[in-house]
Amino acid sequence: MDNTSSSANATAVAAKKQLSSNFFKKGVTVAILSGMFYGLYTAFMTLGMANGVWADWYGVNNAALSAFVITYMLGALGSALNDTLSALWCIGIAAFKGKLGDYFRTLKTKPGRVMIFAALLGGPIASTAYVVALQMAGSIVIPITALCPAIGAIMARILFKQKLTPRMLLGIAICFSAALMIGSTSMSADAPPNLLLGICIAFICAFGWGLEGCIAGYGTSMIDYEIGITIRQSTSGLSNLLILVPILAMLAGNIGLAPSLVVQAVTSGPAIIWFVVSGFFAVFAYSLWYKGNSMCGAALGMACNGAYSFWGPFFCWLVLGVFAGMEGWALPPIAWVAAIVMAFGILIIAMNPLDLFRRKEA
Amino acid sequence: MKPLNYAILKHFTKVKEACADDVIEALKKEYGHFKALKKPAVIEAIMTGEANGLLEETRYDLDEKGELRVYYRAHEEGAATINNYIPD
Repeated sequence: MDNTSSSANATAVAAKKQLSSNFFKKGVTVAILSGMFYGLYTAFMTLGMANGVWADWYGVNNAALSAFVITYMLGALGSALNDTLSALWCIGIAAFKGKLGDYFRTLKTKPGRVMIFAALLGGPIASTAYVVALQMAGSIVIPITALCPAIGAIMARILFKQKLTPRMLLGIAICFSAALMIGSTSMSADAPPNLLLGICIAFICAFGWGLEGCIAGYGTSMIDYEIGITIRQSTSGLSNLLILVPILAMLAGNIGLAPSLVVQAVTSGPAIIWFVVSGFFAVFAYSLWYKGNSMCGAALGMACNGAYSFWGPFFCWLVLGVFAGMEGWALPPIAWVAAIVMAFGILIIAMNPLDLFRRKEA
Repeated sequence: MKPLNYAILKHFTKVKEACADDVIEALKKEYGHFKALKKPAVIEAIMTGEANGLLEETRYDLDEKGELRVYYRAHEEGAATINNYIPD
């Protein structure tokens, strides 16, 4: 080989290395950002559900709503508003980027239907459980919902025969011990009355999202992530708004409550403005989660996204505690420690920590 | 007409191997007006396919402009998965 071709070869090798390294770094960055946006959307949605007409519903209750409606229906309504507004943001972004045609074309295909199924699991089921748990037990439920990568790993083993090594089992054990640490705070005197039930409901949410992550991961290797998120949010928003909220209204004994509450919530200016903000952040919380998973593998993607166990309480404290001046959003120190332990456990499940150093050297 | 991402993956089931420029050239006629048919976006879609086991790298070199050019192919299992999810 002459000098010219060997130097061209060396340039190609270096450029290829750079391309792979940039792709990996972008995947990790995207996955970490998804966790941060997750914390932001949580905080602003909770802020929306503390203002305007919601302040009355959850406070003085001049509307005379029953305990059932307050606990379950309002949770579903909050989730429905967030996801529907998020879907509108998604459609706007897709239209701006010229992807709206592909959105409708993708809906009719097999990967599109897989995405709709995953959205139903993660949307009406998990998101509602998340909001209800958040209302009952506060931001302490966020680290529990961060167990979803653990559940995703187990479900992927059962459904797709993916591997589950002793290292991953160790990580799952670490996560559960962290969850127990959080559970222990319910023993304290000033615990919210529904703390324990809220924590149980948070587990339902972790299950739904774990399953969503493992199924949607299968679809997103083929679907553009911005189209994937538009399918997710429109499926989730509409099914919450048109199916779940009316079903809960029927269970509460008054179907008319559904349109009435939706109209009141949508026309409540001081509240809806925060849902517009939370819906915007939710676009990136979920789209970057899918993108991160598809770029650097679901295991590492979900581990980086799992850092929302820090970002959730962090942004709730910042937005609700510091910015809005609401009390009760400071977490007990043990919850912070547990969140760190849980994040570490998630990391162990998702990958061999030594690989981080090996990757750096590569 | 298929969504652009499907068309990118599907292209690899029809040729022995291809780089991003080959894919853009092949899809230009039908998808030329798509904002997403740009080299960086196509490279990202291909590399995502690779990360998910649908495609694999075959070789790489520098093109006449001195830019890196990586070739990929759909191996048997990848092509089967693509064809199963995205029929013609």
